[in-house]
Amino acid sequence: MSWEGYNYEDVRRAAEETTSHLTPVSLHFLENCVSCALCEVNCPYTPVGEEYGPVSKAEPLRNIYRGKVNILPRLFPWLFGAKLPKTKEELDKWVDLAYHCTNCGLCYITCPFGIHSGEMIKTLRGFLAKTGRIPSLLKLMVDAETSGMFAENPGFRGLWEDVIRKTLEVANVEFDRKGAKYLYMPSLAEAMITPGAIPATARILSKLGLNWTMPRNPLSIRAPIGSLAGDDESVRVVAKRIYDYIKSIGAEYVVFSDGGYPYTFFRFDLPRIVGEEPSFKVVHVVELLVDALREGKVKFKQTQERITWHSPCKMGRFGGLIEEPVEVLSSISQNFVKLKSHGLFSKCCGGGGSIACIVPPTQEFMEKVMGIPLKVSENEKAFLDKLYRDMLIAGREKVQEIKESGASTVVTACIGCIHTLGFTTRAYDVKVTLKTLAEVVAEALD
Amino acid sequence: MDLLDLAIYVLPPYVVATLAFGVAYRLSRYLFLWKRGYSAPRRARPIGKLLVGLVVTFLDPLVQAAKKRKSDFVGGLIALHILGVIPLIFLLSQHVAMFSYWIPLYSLLKPFAIPSSITSASQYFFANVLPASEMGWVFTNSVWGPLTLILNGDLLAILAIIGVSYKLGDKLVRLYHRLRHVRAGDFFDLALLLSILVTGFLATHHLPSPDVTTYRFMLGLHILLAELLVALLPFTKFWHFVFGYWYGKLHEWYELKFNRGSL
Repeated sequence: MSWEGYNYEDVRRAAEETTSHLTPVSLHFLENCVSCALCEVNCPYTPVGEEYGPVSKAEPLRNIYRGKVNILPRLFPWLFGAKLPKTKEELDKWVDLAYHCTNCGLCYITCPFGIHSGEMIKTLRGFLAKTGRIPSLLKLMVDAETSGMFAENPGFRGLWEDVIRKTLEVANVEFDRKGAKYLYMPSLAEAMITPGAIPATARILSKLGLNWTMPRNPLSIRAPIGSLAGDDESVRVVAKRIYDYIKSIGAEYVVFSDGGYPYTFFRFDLPRIVGEEPSFKVVHVVELLVDALREGKVKFKQTQERITWHSPCKMGRFGGLIEEPVEVLSSISQNFVKLKSHGLFSKCCGGGGSIACIVPPTQEFMEKVMGIPLKVSENEKAFLDKLYRDMLIAGREKVQEIKESGASTVVTACIGCIHTLGFTTRAYDVKVTLKTLAEVVAEALD
Repeated sequence: MDLLDLAIYVLPPYVVATLAFGVAYRLSRYLFLWKRGYSAPRRARPIGKLLVGLVVTFLDPLVQAAKKRKSDFVGGLIALHILGVIPLIFLLSQHVAMFSYWIPLYSLLKPFAIPSSITSASQYFFANVLPASEMGWVFTNSVWGPLTLILNGDLLAILAIIGVSYKLGDKLVRLYHRLRHVRAGDFFDLALLLSILVTGFLATHHLPSPDVTTYRFMLGLHILLAELLVALLPFTKFWHFVFGYWYGKLHEWYELKFNRGSL
């Protein structure tokens, strides 16, 4: 199957598979929407067009669901909006909708009925993947991660080795050490997008005097990248591989510096996917820092620099770490300032959910790193070009908040956010330095 | 037997049976789909904060609507829900009387009953006399006092009609803009609600003509349409105020605030 293909039998089969795993929660999401469309007010993509409001983007999944699960819509599909895409163009439109969602969850907490449209759109991506519609770069990465082939790419290998070398310069690490209490889990994506975060985290863990280790080789591109494409099988394979590695080390704590979806995935989703209660706890490095600060085990050099915190949706809204980064950063800068939407309703950067990872400038970057030219069809190219323009519109409100804060440094902990804010702050000519939390903390360590 | 007799004396058992079947069907699906899974240890947060978070979870959408979509806040929430349909259904004097007849315990709400017309409300307030009635319970004798000048069936019905009309207009505009989420069921539900409100208003005011036959037809039609709505509750978006709203927000609180500690 390819991006260009259309086969009704594939579409029908994909619909059957997509509706075969209902839970009470997904049933609620599918059945209890009253189409009030209040979710639109906070979606970063509504400014691109009302058609990209969460309620409209989730509707294709409801179209599939009604026709497969409910009796009356099966008999009178036209009356109940029960339909499958009948043409290639219609399928393309569904792809366009599904990839204009960052799954940031703002729609979830805005909805008067607690309906998480982003989660539904992720399921819709799974349906589209089964029909052959995954953006080429995402597909390449999913396949490379699932097979483990990414570790053999010379470009990736070079980036990783460079980070390992820098890590050894600041910390005395014994890699893959069994019996370590703390296992730090950086990803290849961090080595690509925020290479400074890995040695910085290593320095923090050493400074805190912890008994820790980290993998000598990357275990994934970003863990598991298939979840962004709705590829459940890939997610299971990659998650199990990493889970087995963690168990082989026997760590009590698994530490993440990437506060994007890897943190919430391993903390909250992993038990359900591997079907076990883990013997370890998953923490973000900021949790260790807050504990150390409160116990007086760490002190920072003070700065007057005006810095702010962009709360990544997965770490804040979905990870519960909203005020902890503020506590750490406030103890570093006396001029720390919160963004306007700080808190549960923190505005999305606009590029999550793989969007910033597949837009044309990222594709060019990845081609250079991997040394592999990626061919995309004219149709897909048009889709990606539009997606890039729309991503910049979606990120405008966050950039405006940053500008209004007057901060010279924006700190965050999600590599997707850093990557996206790089694009959007440049596009709107807002000159700020973007740094990871680990880098800022490591620089401030006494 | 005319429409009123049919609606009052014949249909109620069938309506209740359909409702009961629908409720059992909808709820049983949730029960049958549930299975215990493995989950991560929850993030500990103080119980006081969690309880405040529970209230805030229900308030957040209202605050967001007030801030960012004022038309929906005024039309959809205030006019349609808070001042319109909810007090009309549950507290309008005639409805309290009817529900008390079917469900005796409902008579506890009699002191909160809202008079049906501005005239009876103003009589109570300005004339300081109770309207003559042979019934043991006088409709205007409520706890609302002077508030009945605002809290009366006429005004609330008009607000609800404005609210439903606003939602219908909103759907039409969205249909014109070819937004995907607008569907036939939306129009059916809103049209049914509007019909109930209009026929109730007409019956109360003995319109379009004051003769008994017309009155009985209009009141019968009003009750019949209301019964249709009750029977369809579990099969339409009206299910939201019975189940969807409460389950959805509680689940959201449980997942994000109780489990993940996002306060």
